[in-house]
Amino acid sequence: MIDPGAVRAKIAAFLKVPRERLEDAATLTDLVHESFLLIQLVIELQEEFNARLVQEDLKDVKTVQDLVRQIVTHEIQS
Amino acid sequence: MTEGSRMIDDNELWVLSFYRTSEISGALFFGRLARTMKPGQIQRDMTKHFSDESMHAWYWTACMEKLGAHALKLEESYQDQYLAAAGLPVNIMEVLAITQVFEKRVIGQYSLHSSLPGLNPEIKATLQRIMQDEKWHIEWIRDALEIMEQEYGKDRIETTLKRFTEADLQVYKRTTDEHTERLQELIQRSRRRQ
Repeated sequence: MIDPGAVRAKIAAFLKVPRERLEDAATLTDLVHESFLLIQLVIELQEEFNARLVQEDLKDVKTVQDLVRQIVTHEIQS
Repeated sequence: MTEGSRMIDDNELWVLSFYRTSEISGALFFGRLARTMKPGQIQRDMTKHFSDESMHAWYWTACMEKLGAHALKLEESYQDQYLAAAGLPVNIMEVLAITQVFEKRVIGQYSLHSSLPGLNPEIKATLQRIMQDEKWHIEWIRDALEIMEQEYGKDRIETTLKRFTEADLQVYKRTTDEHTERLQELIQRSRRRQ
């Protein structure tokens, strides 16, 4: 089972912000200005936590919390 | 290098600079992704792909230098326009699918450019050198997508390729007007030379 705290920690490390300053309600596009970086973040989370997302899963993802929820609920069984 | 020694006109310089900018964008993108990949064949091939793209940017830089010019600083690459039209790829399969479509477009574009009569031999040699690598890019991605059928499903991969192919057509028709116009100018000039 994927630990939501570990996902938040990974996002914070990727963005190089202290974990405690990464707010769940923060909007991803405010945190990541370059689209290539956003793709990299999403893919890096999937690789790290063995999760798989498809286009529809990200349709309503706006905030850090939304992204964490999607990663946590899309773990693949290996 | 003096202005008087320049062997390409403004249109050619813009087109070659556009190629260079797109190769740099591809290299940066694949370099970042290669860093995130787990050990394995995809990690290996993606690293080689990244290396090729950065070398291509250098080939274009060197080519322009040999023709007496420095590359122009261009803000937007073809890839930026792609993402705007197709939406962000959300997993490795989608990244490879959009790259597959993009690489085919690049080969088509380079092939068209390479066929222009009277093309400067330096530009022609650079185009042909890069096209060799691009063929391998299409092959490794095709193989990787085949392997991914088990995980993502053949139908989903085909649907994704279709979505990105449609976006590619949109981008090519709509947002590369400037590129097309400049290439058309080169084509017309080549015809006048014949």
